[in-house]
Amino acid sequence: MEQLLAALDGAWRVLLVAVVLGAGLPTLFAAGIRALAWGIGGDAEVHGAGVIVKPNLVGRLIAYLLFAIVLGSVALGIGYIGAHGMGWTISFNGIMPVFTPKH
Amino acid sequence: MICVTPEFILLSLVVVTALAFDFTNGFHDTANAMATSIATRALSPKAAVSLSAVLNLVGAFLSVEVAVTVTNAVIRIQNPDGSPKPELMADDGHGLLLILMAGLAGAIIWNILTWLWGLPSSSSHALFGGLIGATVASMGWEGVKWVGEGYHLDGVVGKVVLPALLSPAIAIVVAYIGTKLVFKLTQGVARRYQEAGFRWGQIFTASLLSLSHGTNDAQKTMGVVTLALIANGAWTSTTDIPLWVKFACALAIASGTYIGGWRIIRTMGKGLVEISSPQGMAAESASAAVILTSSQLGFALSTTHVCTGSILGSGLGRRGAAVRWNVAGRMALAWLTTLPLAGLVGAGMWWIGHLLGQGVGAFVVFAIMCAAALYMWWHSKRDPISHHNVNDAWEEPKDRAEKEATAVPGGTH
Repeated sequence: MEQLLAALDGAWRVLLVAVVLGAGLPTLFAAGIRALAWGIGGDAEVHGAGVIVKPNLVGRLIAYLLFAIVLGSVALGIGYIGAHGMGWTISFNGIMPVFTPKH
Repeated sequence: MICVTPEFILLSLVVVTALAFDFTNGFHDTANAMATSIATRALSPKAAVSLSAVLNLVGAFLSVEVAVTVTNAVIRIQNPDGSPKPELMADDGHGLLLILMAGLAGAIIWNILTWLWGLPSSSSHALFGGLIGATVASMGWEGVKWVGEGYHLDGVVGKVVLPALLSPAIAIVVAYIGTKLVFKLTQGVARRYQEAGFRWGQIFTASLLSLSHGTNDAQKTMGVVTLALIANGAWTSTTDIPLWVKFACALAIASGTYIGGWRIIRTMGKGLVEISSPQGMAAESASAAVILTSSQLGFALSTTHVCTGSILGSGLGRRGAAVRWNVAGRMALAWLTTLPLAGLVGAGMWWIGHLLGQGVGAFVVFAIMCAAALYMWWHSKRDPISHHNVNDAWEEPKDRAEKEATAVPGGTH
C-alpha cells in the first residue's frame, strides 16, 4: 500500500512536469510554425483563390523567437543528459540552470 | 597471464551473452526513438537508424557513473555496496555466474521472440525477468526482493510493476494534450507546409530520445558485466568499471541499434496509429519529457512503455485518427507477460545449467540460446521486414493470410 502511494506520488510529479515540457514545447513549436506561415505568406497558409498573401516581417521574427526557445530547451535537455551521466546534478535556482558536481 | 580454466571460460561465456543481450536491447529499442520519424518520412529508414546508433554510442560513453548495483532493485545477489553475496562466490563465483548466464539467456530469447512477433516489449523487463527467474531457481523465493519497504520505491512491485502500469498512462495524457494543442494552433497553415515544419522538430526530439536511451540502457549491461568480473575475481572495484567493458557495451548497443528492429519499427510507426508529422513530434516530445523527468525524480520506468503510450496518445488527440486497438491489445499482453515468461525461461536455463554440472552446464545453456536465436531468425526470413518495406501500408495478419490463401498459385503479382 505504501509502495502504491509512493508510486502515485512520483507519477503525479512526473505528469505535472511532463505536461509543461512535453506538451508545452511542441505547442510553442506549433505556434512558431503558425507565425512563420503568416510571416512567409504565399502558399504557406490556406487562403482563398485569387488572394495574394504578402510576406510579413513580424510573423517571421515571432517564429524565430519561438524556435529559439524550443531549441534552447532541447539543448538544455541534452545538457541534462550529459551532466547526469557525468555524475553532476542540475538545479534550477530561479530560471538559470546551475550544474554542480555530486561529490 | 590469463590461464584458460573452466572458470575463465564460464566468465567469457557470461560476458559474450551480456553483450549479445545489449545488442538485442539496441535493435529492440530503435523503434522507441525512430519509429514515428521513419513512418512520417522525416528521416529515411537508413538515416534514422544511423543517427540513432551514433547517438546511442555517444550516450553510452556519457554514462560515467555506472551503477554496479543494477540488480539490487529486484534480487538479492549483491550486498548494498555492489559486492556479490559471499555464498555465491564459491568456486570463483560459479553460483553467481550461472544465475547471470541463465538470466541473460532468458532475456535474450524473450527479446528475439517478441521481435519475431513485431512487439515492442521492454528490454529491462526481460532482463529483470530472466534474472528473477534464475535467482528463484537458485536461491528460492526469498532470493527476490518482491516489495520495497515503506515509501521508498523498491523491489519488483515498486521498481517494475507499478511504473509499468503508470508510465504509459502518463505518456498517453501528455501526448494527447500536446497533439490537441498542436493541431489547434496550426489550423489554417497549408498542409504541406505544416508537415515539413514538424519533420524538423521530429528529428530533434528523436535525437534527444536516442541519446537518453544510450545513457540509460547501455549502463545496465555495463553493470552486469562488471558484476560477473567481480564474482570471478577478475575485477575488484565496485565504484568503477573497466574501460574495455564500457567500449564493448557501447559498441554492442550501437550496432544493435544500427541493425534496426524493423519488425518493431513497423508495428510502432505504422501498426498502432496512422501518424502524421505533427503527431510524431508531439509523441516524441512527450516521451522525452516523461523519460527525462522520471530519471531526474528517481522514478524507474521502461522507455518502451512510455514511447508506445505517447504514440497512442497522439492517435487519440487527433480528430479522425484511428487507433488500432487490437494491435495495442497485443502489445499490452506482451508487456504483462514479459517479466513472468522471461523469468520462466531464465529459471529453466538455470536448472539445465545446474543439473548438467559445472563443466558443461553453461555451455549447454549457451548452445540452447544460440540455437533458439538462430531458429527464430531463420523463421523471420519467411516474412522479412527491412528498411525496404517498413513503411508499406499496414495489413492485419488475418487479412494477409486470407489474401495468400485466395491467391492463385503462379498468378501474376
